[in-house]
Order: sequence, then C-alpha cells, then structure tokens
Amino acid sequence: MINENILFDQELLDLLKSMAGEGIKNAASGFSGMVGRTIEVSNPNLKLVPLLSISEILGGPEDDAVGIYLRFEGDMLGQIMMIMPYSKALELVDLLMETPPGTTQHFGRLERSALGELGNLCGTFFLNSLAKLSHASLRPSPPAVMVDMVGAILDVVIATAGGVSEHVLLMQANFMDGSRSVEANFWVIPDITAFQDLIQKNA
Amino acid sequence: MKKDPISLGLGEYFISQNPEDILVAYGLGSCLGISLIDPRTHLSGLLHAVLPGTANPQNLPGVDLYKYVDSGINSLLGAMLKEGANKSRLIVRMVGGANMLISPGMKNSFDIGTRNIETARQTFQRLNMTIAAEEVGGHIGRTIHVYVAESRVTVRVIGEKERDI
Repeated sequence: MINENILFDQELLDLLKSMAGEGIKNAASGFSGMVGRTIEVSNPNLKLVPLLSISEILGGPEDDAVGIYLRFEGDMLGQIMMIMPYSKALELVDLLMETPPGTTQHFGRLERSALGELGNLCGTFFLNSLAKLSHASLRPSPPAVMVDMVGAILDVVIATAGGVSEHVLLMQANFMDGSRSVEANFWVIPDITAFQDLIQKNA
Repeated sequence: MKKDPISLGLGEYFISQNPEDILVAYGLGSCLGISLIDPRTHLSGLLHAVLPGTANPQNLPGVDLYKYVDSGINSLLGAMLKEGANKSRLIVRMVGGANMLISPGMKNSFDIGTRNIETARQTFQRLNMTIAAEEVGGHIGRTIHVYVAESRVTVRVIGEKERDI
C-alpha cells in the first residue's frame, strides 16, 4: 500500500491543480466547439476527497442522477466520472440542443448520446492537457452514460478504485452559456501509481 | 414523531433490536446490501459491502472488514451471534450487485457486482446458511430497507415504489 499522505503532498496537489485548471479550460473549448457557441468555465476547483464520502458531497445517495464515465489508459491509468443531479443533466441537454430550459423531460437515446458525446469531448480535452503537461500518452475509452441513483453510479468508481486508493480528486466547474449556467463535477480517479511518474517527470 | 432511518454508508453495518429502527442502504450499484434477521427476537443486521474479498488485508492499514463481502458477512454474523442471535433461525436476504457499466467498450470489465454476488453465495454456503431472498445483478441501482419491528425487508429501484422481498 502506498502511503497517500506522502504521495499527495502539497506540491503534487498544486501541480494537479494547475493541470486541472488547464484541463477544464480545454474541455470548455471542446464543449464550445461542439455546440458552436462560446461556453465559458468559471470557478474551477480541485480537491482531494475520501473515496467513501463522495455520495454525501453530491447529496443523498438515493437521488436520481446522471453519470458520464470513461477510463483512460496509456502511460497512466485512470477513470473520469462526470456526475450531476438528474434535473441538472436535463438542463445540460437543453443547453447542448439549444432548446429552451425545461424542454427536455427524460433521457432517451438521443439525450444519452448527446451527454455521452459531451463526456467524450470533455474527457478527451482534459486528457490532452494532462498528457501535454505530464509528457504522457493517454487514450480515453468510449463513454458510458448512466441514469440511476447517485450511490449506484458512484459504485462504478468506488468498486474500481476501492481496492487501491482511499482518495479521489474532485474537480468542480461551472459551464456557462450567457446567463445559463450548469455546474459539473468531474471525478478523476487516477491509478495511484501514476502519480509517481508524474512527480518524477516534473521534478 | 417517527425516527429517521439509520442510513449505512459504504463499508458500514448496523445491528438493532429496537422496533422503532429502520435500517437502510441507499443506491446500491455493484455494492451488496445483506440483511440477517432473527424473526423470533427481531434482532436485525444490515451490511453495506463494497468489494468481494480481502485479497491482502494485511496490506491495507486500518482496513474496514465490513467493506468486503466475505469478511463483512463473517463479522456481521459474529456480532449478531454475540447479541444472542440463533444462527439456524437467521433469514438471509441480499440486494444489489448490479453491473452499472453497459457501454460497448467496457464489456465484462470490472464487473465487481457479479463477483460480489458470487463471493456472498460462496460465503453463505461455507457457513451452511441459505439465502432466503435476493434481488441482485442486472444494470440497475437499488435501495434496501430493513424494518426491525416487522422483520421486513424491501427493495426500491429508480422510478418505482418500495416492495417487499
């Protein structure tokens, strides 16, 4: 077991913070390209949180939510989960489809695929910036979109990371289109050994 | 006033004989909610297990035994026997163990849910205990409630009402 207290020192967190900021900005430009309008990102934030407390941070574990999930491999292994409350995800679909807020009422194939595409874009742009900064080669998997209870969606991340890592990185950002704003949470769950490479490459 | 249900987080368990208590594990995906109930005394236990087995327990400092299906079942059973439960009377129910990822690129990968179910079945078999009811697998999240007063267990999925199992 790797000692996470030593691993996640302030220096590394600062480094990851700058990567995350860069990555989220990059993701927003991908998002903008997808919808053909300028989507801005505000308040990017990065925190190290205990794996077992994620669902409390998001509200109740039984709340309806939508998760967009992808994994990455290459020089580093890890997972990315974007998760948002059900109602927020509907708003996000309206924003993507340029329909008035409240138009989208449920998740059919089209809506799921739009969110999957968004996750794909954000994930890829985020990974590109991570790859650039860490001089690593990273490839994302196709996205999976889940509509279910918060707890059940998070089990995907927890079950995969739970055997190895007790902490995950949480990135939060607001996507804004004019006066419309949708908050998105990204959870980046790197394979913990990946960080050692990262530290060495940036030493 | 009605008491709030006692909500179990990941890797937690709770044992109660208080008729006012309702135990719950919300939003189980690949996780398993396992309940043991002695219907004569109403002694009831619920476990929210996350991963199949303690492969290398010695390598995990401060490891929570209840996080794992195998050690969690054994620990819960041990704790209930200590409280006076009669093993032969215990009714076992199990909920969860879904595979939440249904994406073309992620087939069969990390199917922790199925492994959790298999581990639970093996563990109960080794303990010579039968599973009375289960609602497991598939691709859907579930919530399990244990009503201590009635020795009753329910399951709920998204967009549906609670029902007995």
